[in-house]
Amino acid sequence: MLSDDRINAIIEASMSKGADLAEIYIQDAGSRGVSLLNGKVIRASTNRTVGIGIRIMSGVNSVYVYSNNLEPEGLIHMAKEAACALQSGSKAEIAALRELCKSSPSKIEIDPFSVPKHDTVEILKKASDYALSYDPLITQVAGGYSTGSRTIRVVNSRGVNREETKKRIRLTMEAIATKGNEKQTGRVSPGTMRGYEFINEYPFMDKMKECCDTAIRMVNAGYAPSGKMPVVIGNGFGGVIFHEACGHALEATSVGIGSSCFTGKLGQQIASSVVSARDNARIEGEWGSYYVDDEGNDSSDLLLIENGILKNYLVDELGSRRMNMPVTGCSRREDYTFAPTSRMSNTYIDNGSSTPEEIIAATDNGIYCAQMGGGSVDTATGEFNFAVNEAYMIRNGKIAEPVRGATLIGKGPEILMNIDMVGNDLKLSAGVCGASSGNIPTTVGQPTIRVSSILVGGREE
Amino acid sequence: MDSNTEDIKKLMTEIIGKAKEYGFDEAACHYSDNESINIDILNGEVSSYENSRDSGFTFKGLKNGQMGTCGTNVIDDDTADYLLSGAMENCGVLDDDDPDFIYCDPDHKELSFSQLSGAYDKNTYDRFKELGLKIEKAILDIDPCVKAVDYLSISASIGPTIMMNTKGLYAFTDSDGITIFAGARAEKDGVVKSGGHFWIGNDIDKFDLDSFIDKVSDNLITKFGASSVRSGSYDTIFKSDAFVSLFAAFFGNFSSFAMQKGLSLLAGKQGTKIASDTLTIREVPMYEKALNKIPFDSEGVLTYEKAIIDKGVFSTALYNLKTAYKDGIKSTGNGFGGNIGVSNIVITPGEKDFDALMETVGNGLIITEVSGLHAGVNAVSGDFSLLSEGFVIENGKKGRPVEQITISGNFYDLIKNITELGNDVENNLGSRGEVFCPSVIIKGVNVAGDGR
Repeated sequence: MLSDDRINAIIEASMSKGADLAEIYIQDAGSRGVSLLNGKVIRASTNRTVGIGIRIMSGVNSVYVYSNNLEPEGLIHMAKEAACALQSGSKAEIAALRELCKSSPSKIEIDPFSVPKHDTVEILKKASDYALSYDPLITQVAGGYSTGSRTIRVVNSRGVNREETKKRIRLTMEAIATKGNEKQTGRVSPGTMRGYEFINEYPFMDKMKECCDTAIRMVNAGYAPSGKMPVVIGNGFGGVIFHEACGHALEATSVGIGSSCFTGKLGQQIASSVVSARDNARIEGEWGSYYVDDEGNDSSDLLLIENGILKNYLVDELGSRRMNMPVTGCSRREDYTFAPTSRMSNTYIDNGSSTPEEIIAATDNGIYCAQMGGGSVDTATGEFNFAVNEAYMIRNGKIAEPVRGATLIGKGPEILMNIDMVGNDLKLSAGVCGASSGNIPTTVGQPTIRVSSILVGGREE
Repeated sequence: MDSNTEDIKKLMTEIIGKAKEYGFDEAACHYSDNESINIDILNGEVSSYENSRDSGFTFKGLKNGQMGTCGTNVIDDDTADYLLSGAMENCGVLDDDDPDFIYCDPDHKELSFSQLSGAYDKNTYDRFKELGLKIEKAILDIDPCVKAVDYLSISASIGPTIMMNTKGLYAFTDSDGITIFAGARAEKDGVVKSGGHFWIGNDIDKFDLDSFIDKVSDNLITKFGASSVRSGSYDTIFKSDAFVSLFAAFFGNFSSFAMQKGLSLLAGKQGTKIASDTLTIREVPMYEKALNKIPFDSEGVLTYEKAIIDKGVFSTALYNLKTAYKDGIKSTGNGFGGNIGVSNIVITPGEKDFDALMETVGNGLIITEVSGLHAGVNAVSGDFSLLSEGFVIENGKKGRPVEQITISGNFYDLIKNITELGNDVENNLGSRGEVFCPSVIIKGVNVAGDGR
């Protein structure tokens, strides 16, 4: 890796034509993964990527150059070229490099890279065998395990000198039930920044049974109805609704250029008064955590919404310049091939006061979405859509028959105002979020919530 | 071929040359190198400029029919050992019932296909800046309601890929390309709409600003006054990119791998009718209008033109070496990136223009956009339910815009319900090549909305 002297030389070259900030991001990442289908390992791969990204900023303009070649002379040349492209009028002082400060949000007892792949493969095979003999309707079982390690170093012309290491594990199990031409899946995909002890403690058979039961229930289910109705959304991955309908529109990426539907709404009521929400990057061992962001700032436990009032945006360096607000330590990127931008970490609606049972009992007729799939949003218009993987009708305050094929659509600002009950069973769930700085691990979460009215796109009228 | 390519070739020869030492029966090595530049324009200036050079190796080693892979972009003295030992470790955990292969056609040991445009040197910062500012201004000038061009990027990339294996294959390709994406925001009476357009090409001089701006305008300004529609069944015209997006979500079902593993309902249906007579879908790897011609796949098998659906009949599934062996046939040249994929796709157009298609429908809907494809589809069962937008068709004419509706149904029913295709072919970005597709009429599409 590069010595401090070389790094200083790159920063000097970057600032040689004037700039107010030069930033170097160096990444060394490795991953190992296996995929299984019906108890057989059909793919196994290993990968390592090392690279460097250099960003130079002047006001709200920036130049970003990157390469996988860490040869110092080439990097200095690249930095000089970048400096010429920026052509800044003014030049900030270059501060002396502070002492390197290392951190890790991973909470590791057993290093996942120290455990042979065979061990995890054997567990997944047992789970697969169990599922294939569970019920004749279960026709395929897929599984996967991957572990990744990433060390990043961020150095900048203000003297920032940080290094952070993250190790993550992601597990996937999926059971597919078949009935005639119909196939439905039940799936779990937990992710963690804990060590291999997570795998040792994970209740594989219980979770596989849940996958099978869900797939069987859904393959036997009728189609969901269409139309506006009350919707109760289960805890955990149900939080994807907040992530899409609100979280993205609170990122400086869109707020900073005035394109978000929540621009200029700080201090205003943007959600119903039962909604409070946070973006907390500082939960040790949680999938979406980091202590140092990809600009070298400390991450934060940020209150986004308090009792319906918008309290904070997610602000990165560029957003800070555009919005004249301090950074919140939320700058992230997939790898060195992306310039960083404001992103979410572990983002969730906080606990309310109702029990999940009270919420269902208070709903005469509607849909209970036990498991959400993914979704997407247009941050300018607020329009979103989510798939529902596992849903049930609610009739007379009770959960009734399962229904499949439902999609929830609407506009973020309206849906936030329509959340009228919030449960006390907050749960977090791992996901992957894609945006302009690439795909990054994020956690979504919420307690059980009720939306008084939302458009359900099903198949039956 | 420059000296760098010679160095890389030497390193690749060394890597696969060590394969036997590490215990592999056969081995292959892939290399790719990419140079790119990108500029983003915002508020009358270049907000960001990116420049990169990135390369990497992937090694595949075969032992007892099991293929272990390992990749890295670290090029140093340890690269060979890292790749070989990583792949060998992976071979040790694989236990697939079906053997894999490393291949070289004895008649085509050396494959070389360069399609550099010769125009790449025009892609400079200054040129992109000038063009970007011109595009931004032209979009803002479309109408006073256009408030901002929130996203405008111009990027270009160039680079070779090299593939070598122990069977004697040496395959080389290189290409360059430019993409322009623009996304704008407009506001009228407190209602915000967004829309944009893209262009791909390999010669910046061939970019036509006027037609690009017309498309942005079509995709943005016409959206005002939109509302939902009543739930029901509608005869619908899918515009080219909406149809391609929807079709792409289910395209994996044409893969022989999905069929062999019981994950495609098309298994066993080759040679039978699965779609309307009006639908013919061909893979044309060397299609003259395609930006990138693809003469061979990433297993070194020559690609060739073929119908996937011919007048509604499912003519061939897509095979790589491994799945072809299992079915006792030859690979169809669809082994891409360790999976099964396609090159350039051409959907045979009909004869009517878009206005005539609307007249044919009489009363119904135009779907211009579908969202949420990564989540709102069940790729295996074919079920989908997707947020969509478009326009109503009233008495054969385009009427008011439509928003906040979902279209739902089943892919396998949908392709049977195609009644006609237009002649308005547009190119869309595919996973590897392009998809050339016209507007498509589908009868009886299930729509959910809360309109009255």
